[in-house]
Amino acid sequence: MGRVSAMVSGWAVNVSIALTALRTNLMRSILTTLGVMIGVLAVVLAVAVGSGAKVSVMESINTLGSNMAIIFPQPESEGGRRTETRGRLTERDARALEKQLSGIVGIAPQLRATVQLVVQGRNASTSALGITPGYGVVSNITSDVGRFISDADVRTGARVIVLGQTVATTLFGEFEAVGQSVRVNRIPFTVIGILESKGSSFGQDNDDVALIPISTVRQRLATGSNLQGPDDLHVLFVGFEDGVNLPAAKKEMTEILRNRYRVPANDISPFTIRTTEEFMEESSKVTGIFQGVLVAIASISLLVGGIGIMNIMLVSVTERTREIGLRMALGARRRDIRNQFLVEAAVLCMIGGAIGLTLAIGVAALFESMADFPAPIGLGTSIMAILFSAGIGLSFGGYPAIRASRLSPIEALRSE
Amino acid sequence: MATPLLEARALHKTYVLGGETVRAVDGVSLSIDRGEFVAIMGASGSGKSTFMNMIGCLDVPTSGQMILDGIDTGSLSSDEMAIIRNRKIGFVFQQFNLLNRTTALDNVAVPLIYAGLSTVDRRTKAKAKLTELGLGERLDHTPAKLSGGQQQRVAIARALVTEPLMLLADEPTGALDTQTSADIMGIFQRLNEGGITVILVTHEPDIAEYAQRRILFRDGKVIEDAAVTNRRKAA
Repeated sequence: MGRVSAMVSGWAVNVSIALTALRTNLMRSILTTLGVMIGVLAVVLAVAVGSGAKVSVMESINTLGSNMAIIFPQPESEGGRRTETRGRLTERDARALEKQLSGIVGIAPQLRATVQLVVQGRNASTSALGITPGYGVVSNITSDVGRFISDADVRTGARVIVLGQTVATTLFGEFEAVGQSVRVNRIPFTVIGILESKGSSFGQDNDDVALIPISTVRQRLATGSNLQGPDDLHVLFVGFEDGVNLPAAKKEMTEILRNRYRVPANDISPFTIRTTEEFMEESSKVTGIFQGVLVAIASISLLVGGIGIMNIMLVSVTERTREIGLRMALGARRRDIRNQFLVEAAVLCMIGGAIGLTLAIGVAALFESMADFPAPIGLGTSIMAILFSAGIGLSFGGYPAIRASRLSPIEALRSE
Repeated sequence: MATPLLEARALHKTYVLGGETVRAVDGVSLSIDRGEFVAIMGASGSGKSTFMNMIGCLDVPTSGQMILDGIDTGSLSSDEMAIIRNRKIGFVFQQFNLLNRTTALDNVAVPLIYAGLSTVDRRTKAKAKLTELGLGERLDHTPAKLSGGQQQRVAIARALVTEPLMLLADEPTGALDTQTSADIMGIFQRLNEGGITVILVTHEPDIAEYAQRRILFRDGKVIEDAAVTNRRKAA
């Protein structure tokens, strides 16, 4: 117990010696620690911006609807192999999937068309999605004003349209849009609702869109060429309940579709099925690389800071050679001298690290409030930053400290 | 008689300096008993400093033996030498060698850090030693606020705080005026009367006269080793 308390007090002594030494050369200590401060600031911000990118990508994916699969009637072009089989996807397939799959919250067959919208000389070009009410469920979207596409609209092929906020603003400005007439590729439609805003993701405006009943698109706006039958679809969204195992569901869907189209087992599937989970994984891979590159670049400044520490510690050892000699004469062992200088370097770095971290938290808060970009700095990052600073001190202070400990006591005492 | 405190046997120390071999200590054999007050004298380059470094466990002989309190220092590791310096030897230097921005109390406590004592024990012992040397009122003074004599007394307190077997003083009065020098020598005499061995290195004959025995070095050899006949007594 006495040994432990003596050890603790030994380290405490080293810290107090370090603080005295650092205070003696205050300006020099400040300038030196500036390097570490900037380094830690850069690294912590890089980590924060990287995490922020991750968060915003995840949020973007979540706006798609949290748990779903998207089926395209195109073969995956994996490994460069391609099939000649052009996939087809029909409303019958959609109904079959709905019937056979479990854990579904909704299914949303979709046709897409690029349309020109005109209202009294104002016009907008946007992509129209031909949908069923299921789209609202799967994509978790509804009308902000007016109403959404209903089953009756789909059944009757009604000429009704729900506008995204961007489109609505372009066409109607500040005026009330719901109830107004709009020409869609010269055909008159009635605006029945305005969608709630979904912001933008991946630089794409999610509000630049218009929703029309799928049957109406098929009858009046059909973009024929790549549709092979009267109930062909461009895309099919399948929404799942929370907790459904998406990879298993994907396998099941592939099986069902393969059976329906009698695709031989060793042929490439003519369908591409992507799940939100896969999007997330891919995005987190990409943002992970992004974060890694940022941190690597920022680390260079920390490295430079570390070299500054080493430089100033070498100067300090040289200046205090006589003190080292004296301490040795009074009974300091080599490791006592080494530890003294290691602690001094670590303390210097940790002070820089703490200031750098504080500044980083401030800058991140500024980012968040001014640029609306999340840059979270968690407790883990903070602790890492401080430990990392200490590590920088120990590694770059190591050589000067060992040099100090190897001095000959006689020569050290004799030096001026 | 008990074993001597230190015993040098055919002690040699040679350096190679600029391609030339320098015999700094060239075959010295002598012994110093516990409780002696010895002055080691000689001009600069006579080998007295090298000899003192070996007594102080700061250096090891090239050949021969230095036996300190029964331990042959030639076979020790650097850590073991550090421990001997810490426990058995108290150093007093010409330039005092106090840490500048550190109070008298903390200066005196430095050797106790390396002895592994707790902060409280260090302070208690350091305070006691400073009080013993008449500096009880100046515990919190930094060296800059102390006179030369006071600084040297702080240094002596620091040398004594680990209760060593001997004091090793290298030109302790070299930076002091005559009166202060006499005071400091008086302290050494009093300590010696209290039982501690004092080894004093000096080139001033009148300072050497405070000792009981004088050893004179020249060219690395002892040329005279005799009792001081007209011993001075500090008031």
